[in-house]
Amino acid sequence: MSAPETTTQGAVPESPGLTVRVESFVGPLDLLLHLCRTNEMDLSRLALRTITDQYLSHLEAVRFQDLEMAGSFMVMAATLIYLKSKLLLPANPDDQDEVLDEEGELLKRELEERLREYARVKALGAWLAEREAEQTLVYGRTTAELPPPEDIPLEDLSVHLLQRAMQRLIEDQQRRVPRQVEPNPLSVLERMSEILDLLRSTWSLLFSSVAGAERLRAEWVVTLLALLELVRLGQARARQADLFGEIVIERNAVSVREPARLVETDEESRPAADASGEALAAEGPRDSMPEEETPRAAATPPPDDEPRTEQGEPLNA
Amino acid sequence: MPEPIDVVEALLFASDTPVEAERIQEVLDLESAAAAREIVEGLRARLDAEGRALQVMEVGGGFRLVTRPEVAPWLVKLARSRTRSRLSRPALETLAIIGYRQPVSRPEVDAVRGVNSDAVLDNLLERRMIRIAGRKESPGRPFLYETTREFLVAFGLRDLGDLPKVEGELIVPELAQAAAAQLAEPGPEEEITAAPDPSQQDPGPGGDRVSTSG
Repeated sequence: MSAPETTTQGAVPESPGLTVRVESFVGPLDLLLHLCRTNEMDLSRLALRTITDQYLSHLEAVRFQDLEMAGSFMVMAATLIYLKSKLLLPANPDDQDEVLDEEGELLKRELEERLREYARVKALGAWLAEREAEQTLVYGRTTAELPPPEDIPLEDLSVHLLQRAMQRLIEDQQRRVPRQVEPNPLSVLERMSEILDLLRSTWSLLFSSVAGAERLRAEWVVTLLALLELVRLGQARARQADLFGEIVIERNAVSVREPARLVETDEESRPAADASGEALAAEGPRDSMPEEETPRAAATPPPDDEPRTEQGEPLNA
Repeated sequence: MPEPIDVVEALLFASDTPVEAERIQEVLDLESAAAAREIVEGLRARLDAEGRALQVMEVGGGFRLVTRPEVAPWLVKLARSRTRSRLSRPALETLAIIGYRQPVSRPEVDAVRGVNSDAVLDNLLERRMIRIAGRKESPGRPFLYETTREFLVAFGLRDLGDLPKVEGELIVPELAQAAAAQLAEPGPEEEITAAPDPSQQDPGPGGDRVSTSG
């Protein structure tokens, strides 16, 4: 049985001399066992004063990373301190020996028993480590090319594996969130072409029929901008009989120009239209759309002043 | 027509798990498991005599064909890695506790180790060194853990009786029965070898040791 790893070099700079790092102990019992061994203490006759003092001085030198581990070391510390406190109030003051009352004696015996048991476990662990080391030098098959048996033996499948598989499945499912499909960003130019196409087969149409009955803000804004642009270029006329009323779009008799020319600048104007739509959408609850359906209202536009100039330019050029 | 000894060599070569004597008996249509064991011993002697790089190993209640430790350095070089990953000290100690006390619950393991064993048990489960054997009928109905055949193979143990004896607390009186149960259990052989008695008695030396220890 080998002693646990100790380091002689500065684990804790401020305490000189030999320092034993508690990190190298896998638990409070491991540390306690180490202290008993270094003091050549009988595991059935713990010298509580010595062991408690040494245990506590080790703890002071340590910063725990793991709260749970720290807790288990603290519980042991509390037990030791409790036992030591009992020694300070001896049942029989004449006794020089470490004498505890009945409860303390039980506690101490239990601790000694645990310590002895841990010593055995530790020895067995070391034995297993040796066996493992021997076995790592020996290589055999871990997978076979033989076809699997027709009946799958279930004895090796534990609830744990099942739960793990289920969890993996659930996590996969969660990762597979339906993808948000973005509709093509609306383009003022495309809308202009649409209106012109419609006007080729009919003399007049309603603004609402072009902008869509769903009254999507972006749709309405883009349609309005498209209409205004067409009006400006003299390719259509717009009429609004009364305030907030329906806008009637009419074919301009003179207009003969094909929309093809407009489409050339499509790429440049698309983001602009987009941005204007977003700017408006971001503006919040402001659903008095008809207000803006007059050319006058559009001349003093909602705060999207920038996109407007941007999309106006390519058309002028 | 190949000799039985050659067939056995092929069986051990092709199998990914230890092949039980009963299984060999069944595949080769032999009279008894003892006859199968005899052939395996013949194969072991032949490999030894010829100084081959392979050897027969008895682990986990069966036989495996594995390389000799002497050739390990070249295999490591072939694999282009330093060594196989080893278990940590907490993991080994936890395995020791489970090995002797199985089936055992986490609170019991914690009590012996003096620290929480959650992470260690998870790791051992993942490496299939242990498995869940059921639930304990105590408050909280904690899982009970037991060692697996992979555990025996990883540590080169024939059965649980190969674990060293320890005086005191860790020796559990039911150990012998638990070991016998573990041996009788593995695999689909149960249906094939209808009589459970030979399968329990067959791993002779191992079984003997268990009964004397318990």
